[in-house]
Amino acid sequence: MSGTGGETVFAVADASFAYPAQTPCLEGVSFAVARGERLALVGANGSGKSTLLHLLDGLYFPASGSVSYLGQPLSEAALEAAPFGPRFRADVGFLFQNSDAQLFCPTVEDELAFGPLQMGWRQDEVERRIADTLTMLEIGKLRDRAPASLSAGEKKRVALASLLVLAPSVLLLDEPTGGLDPRSQSLLLEILDGLHGRGITLITATHDLTLLPHLADRVLVLSEEHRLVVDGTPENVLADTGVLLAVNLIHAHAHRHGRLVHSHPHQHVVAHEHAHDDEPGHGHDRLGDRKEPER
Amino acid sequence: MTPLPEWLRPGFAPGAAAPRRRRGSLRPLRRALAALEAVLSMLVSDSRDDRRTGLLRNADPRAKLLAGVVLIVAATLLHGLATLGLCLALAVGLAAAGRVRPVRIAAVLGASLALTTLVMAPATLDVVTPGAPVLTVARPGGGSLGPFRLPATVAVTGAGLAVAARMLLRTSACVTLALVLAATSRPQELLTGLRALGVPQAFVMVLTMTERYLAVLLRAAQELHLARLARSIGGIGVRREEAWAAAGIGAVFRRTRTLADAVTLAMIARGFTGEVRLLRPPRWRRLDWLVVTAAALAAVALVAADRGLA
Repeated sequence: MSGTGGETVFAVADASFAYPAQTPCLEGVSFAVARGERLALVGANGSGKSTLLHLLDGLYFPASGSVSYLGQPLSEAALEAAPFGPRFRADVGFLFQNSDAQLFCPTVEDELAFGPLQMGWRQDEVERRIADTLTMLEIGKLRDRAPASLSAGEKKRVALASLLVLAPSVLLLDEPTGGLDPRSQSLLLEILDGLHGRGITLITATHDLTLLPHLADRVLVLSEEHRLVVDGTPENVLADTGVLLAVNLIHAHAHRHGRLVHSHPHQHVVAHEHAHDDEPGHGHDRLGDRKEPER
Repeated sequence: MTPLPEWLRPGFAPGAAAPRRRRGSLRPLRRALAALEAVLSMLVSDSRDDRRTGLLRNADPRAKLLAGVVLIVAATLLHGLATLGLCLALAVGLAAAGRVRPVRIAAVLGASLALTTLVMAPATLDVVTPGAPVLTVARPGGGSLGPFRLPATVAVTGAGLAVAARMLLRTSACVTLALVLAATSRPQELLTGLRALGVPQAFVMVLTMTERYLAVLLRAAQELHLARLARSIGGIGVRREEAWAAAGIGAVFRRTRTLADAVTLAMIARGFTGEVRLLRPPRWRRLDWLVVTAAALAAVALVAADRGLA
């Protein structure tokens, strides 16, 4: 089931995966991703989102089932063979959750050069791409800096630049806005929006529901049992509070407004808005009726 | 909401703590650990040296590797203290000419002195290296300890001191030459140089990953140390401090293994095939012939002088 009906980029068929000597972290997952889609994988911590991205990038391989890229099943042998292996690595970029793991070269320039040099591209072409990518992401002044000395936002942009320099047609993003300040977050979202406008397929793993409308046109929800439970639009998924509660993406807890104490399901970082009438799902209570903890 | 436990509420005053025995301050130990960490960081990677210019900076890494290996082999063949001293002086001179920062040279020589002294201390004693006693350090007075017979005295010997000095000079010369290589070249250049000199890919790949992981290991150790300091109020005693250090080492290795796995995956994800490639590969020039020839001549001269002096 692909979202836009275009060319199928990834096809995941009944894929299961478990880390050695551990319980399964993905069970019978099936879906397809079409060219140019913006797909979000959402689920609680440990639901298998990051593992699924690793499977899509051919870094892990399913214990059962299969993952295919443009019709070619991803296997160690296929990824080590030319021309498919190098083409896949250039075509599919993976933005890791931890930028420190992704940035392993002594300078930002070396970081950007790493991928193209591995592809065996000519030096002048590599230098041209580095210059263009640094300009595009407005990080030219960081060129000679050591990645370890950068801020979290800068690291994320450099990590993204190290992928874009290869001109990928698919980006796999693992919690791309995690740990970023609001300005860096919105800058990154703008960049991703621009990339999608250029036809790049975006597959994002996140548990931040507030980002869904900005990041995706289609959402896959993974349960805490590591199964795919919903495949829908952001609007449909966000409206289905029953499912979101069941997969631990929203929570219900009591809170107080003056003398009114009530509970209802919601997900927020700092604040949220809601009515105070007797809406379905709102349990009301007067403060006087509720036993307060003794101080 | 689950009510807060009483002790977590504002204004809660804990009871008086049990009186603690006064213990020795661990501040010197912590300072020493911090200094060791700083030295290690500097040895692994010091970008301040990368931006400098100087002799050897522009030489092809293959030439520098060849020259370095020739001189290190020569240092291992030397026996005379005078020629070993000369070799060390040459190495320090090369480091200075390569504009390696003096503090970095001092750190390497200091580490070499400390480790060699630690390892070679027993070799200076007459129980290991017989010879004319120079300084008596203990008087066990003969007798026996279980199945072992004890000597009447334990003394440092002249021959023992010579053995230790020889080892110290040789180690210091070799380590300083290695520093010259590391400080005047970027890691990738040296690794590609090794490949160009015919070192097998698997070996160079292990070195590449080691170079990457050292930085990761150091960062993890620093974070753990800071987290520990953030929760430290007073001394907890040497035994508990030792227990913490042992647990800390285990935690650092667990964390670095996870991070190292992620680094490997990130490299593979960007097409890493095991070959290190450079954006601007160096070219072999006249300077490089000069470097290799000078190193070969110096090595031959040192060995010849050593044999002659011996």
